[in-house]
Amino acid sequence: MTRTRVIALLVPLLLAGCTAKRNPASLSAADSTRGGDSAAIVLQAAPVGHILTYEERQGSVLYAKYCAVCHGKEGKGDGFNAFNLDPRPRDFSDSAYMVALSDGQIIQTITGGGRSVNKSPLMPSYGWTIDRSQIQYVAAYVRTFVYGN
Amino acid sequence: MKPLRATFAIVAVLFLVVLAVSPLKDYLREWKKYQTGYNSLVAGLPQRVKPVDIGIRQVWVQKLDRVDRCVTCHLGVKEPALHAALEPYRTHPRIYHDVDDLGCTFCHEGQGAATEYRESVGNVKYWDRPILPRAYLEASCAKCHRENDVPGAPVLNLGRKLIRESNCAGCHRLEAYQKQWIPALDGIGEKVNRTWLVAWLKHPKAYAPSTKMPDFLLSDEEAGTLADFLLSFRTFPREAVLDPLPAALTSPGDAQKAKLVELGATKFREARCISCHPINGKGGYVAPELGKIASKVGEQWLYNYVKQPKRLQPGVLMPRYRFSPEELAGVVAYMESEFVDYDMEKPAPHTPDPGFYEKGRALFKKYSCGGCHGLPGMARAEETGPDLSAIGAKKLYEIDFGRSGIEQTLPSYLKTKLLTPHVFGESMKMPQFGFREDEAEAIAVALLGNTGDRIPPDLIVPATPQSAFAPQGEFGKLVDDLACLGCHVMNGRGRLVATDLSLEAGQARRTWIEGYFKIPYSLRPVLTERMPNLFLSDGEIKTLVDYMETSFIADTLEHAVPSDPTAAAIGRGLYYERYGCQSCHQIGAKGGYVGPPLDKLAVRLTPGWIFHWLKNPQGLKPGTIEPNNNLSDAEADALAAFLLSLK
Repeated sequence: MTRTRVIALLVPLLLAGCTAKRNPASLSAADSTRGGDSAAIVLQAAPVGHILTYEERQGSVLYAKYCAVCHGKEGKGDGFNAFNLDPRPRDFSDSAYMVALSDGQIIQTITGGGRSVNKSPLMPSYGWTIDRSQIQYVAAYVRTFVYGN
Repeated sequence: MKPLRATFAIVAVLFLVVLAVSPLKDYLREWKKYQTGYNSLVAGLPQRVKPVDIGIRQVWVQKLDRVDRCVTCHLGVKEPALHAALEPYRTHPRIYHDVDDLGCTFCHEGQGAATEYRESVGNVKYWDRPILPRAYLEASCAKCHRENDVPGAPVLNLGRKLIRESNCAGCHRLEAYQKQWIPALDGIGEKVNRTWLVAWLKHPKAYAPSTKMPDFLLSDEEAGTLADFLLSFRTFPREAVLDPLPAALTSPGDAQKAKLVELGATKFREARCISCHPINGKGGYVAPELGKIASKVGEQWLYNYVKQPKRLQPGVLMPRYRFSPEELAGVVAYMESEFVDYDMEKPAPHTPDPGFYEKGRALFKKYSCGGCHGLPGMARAEETGPDLSAIGAKKLYEIDFGRSGIEQTLPSYLKTKLLTPHVFGESMKMPQFGFREDEAEAIAVALLGNTGDRIPPDLIVPATPQSAFAPQGEFGKLVDDLACLGCHVMNGRGRLVATDLSLEAGQARRTWIEGYFKIPYSLRPVLTERMPNLFLSDGEIKTLVDYMETSFIADTLEHAVPSDPTAAAIGRGLYYERYGCQSCHQIGAKGGYVGPPLDKLAVRLTPGWIFHWLKNPQGLKPGTIEPNNNLSDAEADALAAFLLSLK
């Protein structure tokens, strides 16, 4: 009788031994990101002290070269040339405005310039200067200013 | 009977259990959980994303001999709909390479064949190339992009620039990096005084924060002996002898001296010395600090050097200014009176210890000074430091972490070694360069790319061949004497601090270039570097411009721009209303100041250049931030006509 008890004990132990190697990586976080509104997802996933992704880092280099003269290093629309412009360049740290703006609108503005979205023609078009993926990098980086990087 | 049956029963049950273990183990594999997680994730997406069949997935890259099973869990790598998902399902960022083409571990490192998280990351025994941390990832670009800058890899590019500037190749074997030109020490005994030299050797950055000379952490005794040794070298290259100081500098009256200093101050300003030289940290960055120069070098040396820089230091990129004898004396008198270090103790007479020469020579060898500086009678030291041509594949057990207490990985070792070499042991000969943390990281990135791996030749990006352009004749002599290639590029030769001159005569009008040599001005108000006034004679200017007019041109730039007022009126509309050019350019003091002002443009530029520039700015100056507006020929003509009509 004692032997059967031993077996009864052994079986779950063996099973436990097999399962212990599993890595308890949480899948719940990944599950929560489904849904269509990408801006909302980015806001959710990236708290203050946001670490730049690869695309955003690529964008930051291009932004510093092409955009910062007017839009400012911090994206506040206060580059050294901003004060010669009327209307003033867009402030990218304005989170209320940026959340309402879709990725497509940002990419269109960079590609076709202000005139292509019925805004000021003072914003030039870069669609023939940098390639499409570079424009997407810049668009991704422009979104990071709302975190106050 | 009974015990036998019981034993049989136990063995049978045990047998069953053992049989069950294997399928159970397989059922509970780590990656299966990720795959089912992926399927439930994509099922909930509004977009249609195909779920995956459960099973090991892999990328086989035959040419690199790699099998990477990373895609077993990283299932969304090629699925754009998952760009906002969390890892391991997120889309791979858009890069210029394809995962089917290069696989994963070729860039990321790690153990590609592993199917468990811990093993694939590679921080396990018997796997020497663990996954590269994010900050060091650009290292892998260097495997194929061996020499040229990589667009999109700013950290790697910075690291390479720092390796070149710091002349790491002076002591280490580093393929693809050439030794830099650094002044030889011939005649140093006639140049500097001992008090300054001892202080400099002990702590170079105290005198000139911008210097590239590292700190060898010498003791007082070592610095003194090395200084005595160096000061015994008193002959200049090619047997040059210092000219005596003119009478105006040796015995001036008080009134005469004040006048001389005043003239010198004016000329020092007009020559724009601070375009290249910093003064107490402010000014240019391509030449040495001048803030305390009078306490460093002797007056006679300074006079001779400003007079003919290349005579004392062949190869230096300092132009020979065309000062008159009086102006030259004035500039020297001004520098002697202005740039003095009042805190430095007065140079006192000093008798070196006996045997200083041998001891100093040993120190010169020990610290491998000859890796950078030439010295007569001493062979230039070759690679006295460790070979770094395969440092990226160094195995962890080969590294002595000493008592540094840092994280035991190769990237952290390299970074710490660059920041504070001496934490790995007192006897380390590597000097302290005073890098910032991000600079040390960038250099580590560039070094980690030297893996010594065998790369298929078709993947290696060939380096741009070095231009063999060497101007000859009178023009060539002037280019050498004025060190034009120190700042300008001509047909691929030179350093791009200022503009590329390869098409200068096709771009600018002759009269404008001539006037610019007389009074150089900055086209853009926000630029820091400025063209120096070299005080050239009319004959020299003619030689320079004549050469440009025959060589720095291109037939393709010729174009006739219509001159009728209707075209100009259309151009005005395009300028202000459609393309908003005024956001960067000024006309009549109205507009932005990113680009140059456009008033009187017809005086400066040729019509053909304006037209072709408007059509494709990057075609003429790669990397310019002027956007290409994709203008039609008619639009470019109209805009050019408007710009040429500006008075």
